[in-house]
Amino acid sequence: FILMLSLTLGTMITITSNHWVTAWAGLEINTLAIIPLISKSHHPRAIEAATKYFLTQATASALMLFSSMTNAWSSGQWDITQLTNPPSCLLLTAAIAIKLGLTPFHFWFPEVLQGSSLTTALLLSTAMKFPPTTILLLTSHSLNPTLLSTMAIMSIALGGWMGLNQTQTRKILAFSSISHLGWMTTIITYNPKLTLLTFYLYSLMTTSIFLSMNSTNTLKLSTLMTSWTKAPMLNTTLMLTLLSLAGLPPLTGFLPKWLIIQELTKQEMTTTATIISMLSLLGLFFYLRLTYCSTITLPPNSSNKMKQWSIKKPVNTLTPTL
Amino acid sequence: IPLIYINIILTFTISLLKILIYHSHLISSLLYLKKIILSLFIITTLTTLNTHSLLTNIIPITILIFTTYKTTINLTLLISISNTYNLNYIHNLNLLQY
Repeated sequence: FILMLSLTLGTMITITSNHWVTAWAGLEINTLAIIPLISKSHHPRAIEAATKYFLTQATASALMLFSSMTNAWSSGQWDITQLTNPPSCLLLTAAIAIKLGLTPFHFWFPEVLQGSSLTTALLLSTAMKFPPTTILLLTSHSLNPTLLSTMAIMSIALGGWMGLNQTQTRKILAFSSISHLGWMTTIITYNPKLTLLTFYLYSLMTTSIFLSMNSTNTLKLSTLMTSWTKAPMLNTTLMLTLLSLAGLPPLTGFLPKWLIIQELTKQEMTTTATIISMLSLLGLFFYLRLTYCSTITLPPNSSNKMKQWSIKKPVNTLTPTL
Repeated sequence: IPLIYINIILTFTISLLKILIYHSHLISSLLYLKKIILSLFIITTLTTLNTHSLLTNIIPITILIFTTYKTTINLTLLISISNTYNLNYIHNLNLLQY
């Protein structure tokens, strides 16, 4: 309905923009459209999530506008690809880091995902990440590589570490998305096409996981354990998609990691490549725990209930076999 | 004149810091958000009036339009918070830690 239309409109406006004000306007439209979606159920948690989201995104968009304005003051033009003023570049990276949820500014993201329903969390983590990444891609030649790589490594580390103690599935997915965003931002100054590739694959995998979780309504790890009774085929595909999110070799999630490591070694950043691959092991632990809980364990009372759910199954079976 | 420019950048940075380090109420952070965008608006009007280009005159007006959108959503969120919570303090935003 109207909110989804405005969301698509906002993303289209930012993607097809070569002027800063149109990009900012599109981002504002996106935030405007998603906030009623987050706070649809009049639960205090949802409203709190909406306020946190709104505050962070509003400051980020204001920072972005400020960076564009200093650039316009110093260079006299409002083109996105022509960022000549170095402090405006720094401000822009900080603003987009706040919008995406990279490490010094990641604090809002798990809480906001926790407070929203599963479908809106899906939208938040895939669709809302797309316009800021396009802006990063457009300005990737004039960004600061050291700042970006430090933020990326820290975000991969934090995404792995803080995901270890979580039992709520939405928070786990939030930290997994933080780490994936870190993977994306390592390579953005060297080969921006790889960031696009990682973003597409990451969005595919997370949509499949969110939709499968939505069909069984698993919000906690304990409900994951009993989900095999509802739809056994869904459970096996969930396991495969979780493992591909982790980045295991025969599945598609390994492809972006492999290519990123290859590009980093071409740029002679082998230490960062080893650090990144070591830190993704932390994420691997909780993905493995999720798969273990969902498929390998059996609950004490096994009741085979064959209920009919509205499941989007074809998405889940395609993504592991890609 | 660079002095005016420095002044407006000072307002921007101070209000930004005020958002990040809030006192007790949430409304103050919203106020300083509005102040940020006001300072940005002034900078844009200065740049567009000094460079006598006719195309860039649209920019401040559009910024004002989108800020009206934002402020409406600000206030509706405030109302919903005051409906569900008893107080308006920041310490009440603890629900999502678990």
